[in-house]
Amino acid sequence: MANSLNTLVSFLPLIIPLAIIQFGLMIAALVHILKHDTYKTGNRLLWIIICICVNTIGPILYFVIGRGDE
Amino acid sequence: MIEFIAFTKKEYMESLRTYRLVTLAAVLLVFGILSPLTAALLPEILGAIDLGDGVVLTLPEPSAIDSWTQFFSNIGQMGMLAVIISFSGSMANEFSRGTLVNLLTKGMKRHVVILSKFFSASVLWTIGYALCLAVCYVYTAYYWPSDVITNAPFAFFSLWLFGEFLIAILIFSGTLFGSFYGALLSCFGAIVVMALLNISPAIQKFNPISLSGDTLALLSGHKEIADFFPAVIICVSAIVILIIASILVFNKKKV
Amino acid sequence: MSVLSIKGLSKSFGKNKVINNISFDVPEGSVFGFIGANGAGKTTTMKMILGLLPADSGEIFVCGEKVSFGATKTNRYIGYLPDVPEFYGYMRPMEYLRLCGELIGLKSDEINDRSAELLKMVGLADVNKKIKGFSRGMKQRLGVAQALINKPKLLICDEPTSALDPMGRKDILDILHEIKGKTTVIFSTHILSDVERICDRLAVLHKSEIVLESTLSDLKLERKSRAIELEFEDEIDSEEVLRVLKDGNLFPKKCEAANVEMSLESLYLEVAK
Repeated sequence: MANSLNTLVSFLPLIIPLAIIQFGLMIAALVHILKHDTYKTGNRLLWIIICICVNTIGPILYFVIGRGDE
Repeated sequence: MIEFIAFTKKEYMESLRTYRLVTLAAVLLVFGILSPLTAALLPEILGAIDLGDGVVLTLPEPSAIDSWTQFFSNIGQMGMLAVIISFSGSMANEFSRGTLVNLLTKGMKRHVVILSKFFSASVLWTIGYALCLAVCYVYTAYYWPSDVITNAPFAFFSLWLFGEFLIAILIFSGTLFGSFYGALLSCFGAIVVMALLNISPAIQKFNPISLSGDTLALLSGHKEIADFFPAVIICVSAIVILIIASILVFNKKKV
Repeated sequence: MSVLSIKGLSKSFGKNKVINNISFDVPEGSVFGFIGANGAGKTTTMKMILGLLPADSGEIFVCGEKVSFGATKTNRYIGYLPDVPEFYGYMRPMEYLRLCGELIGLKSDEINDRSAELLKMVGLADVNKKIKGFSRGMKQRLGVAQALINKPKLLICDEPTSALDPMGRKDILDILHEIKGKTTVIFSTHILSDVERICDRLAVLHKSEIVLESTLSDLKLERKSRAIELEFEDEIDSEEVLRVLKDGNLFPKKCEAANVEMSLESLYLEVAK
């Protein structure tokens, strides 16, 4: 177990930036969803669920096909 | 040339303001980091699973080749998916929203639109790809400094070329169908067809999809660089043909 | 000299003949009203002038040069305002005009000057928000600005007022009135009062053919010598008027009563001010 923990710590340089980008994407998408109330497809609840549950691809799906223009 | 520069500037403003650039770069970056991480942690994770009776799966110590294996499978699948989603609308949205009418009636030549779209999408893909490649390279060299990978530059090139091929397909199908989902589905369709064709060993050599799928065999030394030349030639010709066909289709298209 | 001349133009979509052998000329400096019901073929004709649709037969000349489908060389003389102009929503008006200016090869300071001037003219000088937040009327006005950026000899407006509320319509008509004399304008519409306000020539497209082509003053003169409008202080019976006319040996073709109430349009404009 201690061994596993050590391995984990040694990989922090990977884990931290990864988490930052993934959370950043998710938060950016969520903020955008909550600040706008029209969507090209789908609705607010659907996009919130997709952005939280579908890692990485979820937010870009939202920005490409969900984000409303007007 | 003036028209090309003006329209390309518009393309970059679009990529920036519609979040295309930042999402594509972020997704590719994620997979750039994820690849060495998965390679490193996979034995740990599998080792922690007790298969019953104390039998534990043990994998050999991870190495640089595992990291690159992850890289090629991640970018080859999820990375390409991100490319397809990002660029499906590039041509299609211009038609579905009618935004080209004002510009074409100012005398802008139609081939400029196609060439500029292909150029700007290529540059975005190249930047994103270079970014995730650099990240994965730095981490891999940091964790497994002594490992040497053969044929790496060619493998990197062939995956990049496959991305360019997808972009050309998206521009052609976007021009042909004029809709986001038309472009998206026909690109998936093309991939499925190529994957099916790949079952036949005779075709494999010439199939552009081998540029993405068979790179692992290249890294492990099961294949030579020369084995990929036919596929590279086919792929490059297909890109040129698709771009020319897009221009021809667009010239006949009513906007 | 004719800025636009159309000779024997025909176009069908499948079996449906949309334009049947029409010909007309638009002289320089005129404001030409192109009138027809919805679906009469106005937009089709305009798209052929712009080289966006191929013609089945006939020829179109813009400033003496022949228009051919796809190759849009003659478009450098033309400014086009589509019925619903579409823009890139993520741009600001100034940025959009910059794109248009760069496409036609204007220099940077030329673009700045012209854009500022045009935005002022269409009343968007102080608007710096992105186009996605624009109303229909604002988009139409920006549409006029982008159509005029190349100082066109011919401005083609496809139903510029149909989709707008009365205030927006008035704005567009005022703008078109302002450029009258500087640029030749073709203006398609089914709203006759708009034609009356700004056009000096008109053609009526009906069932794919030109059924009337004339100048507005000729038309009015013709009507003037045949029609008379009377208005009385007190309430009056039209029968009585007719009887008086009949006694004087005058037999009108048509008699209409009670047309004195204020038109809805002018009423709306008054309250909306």
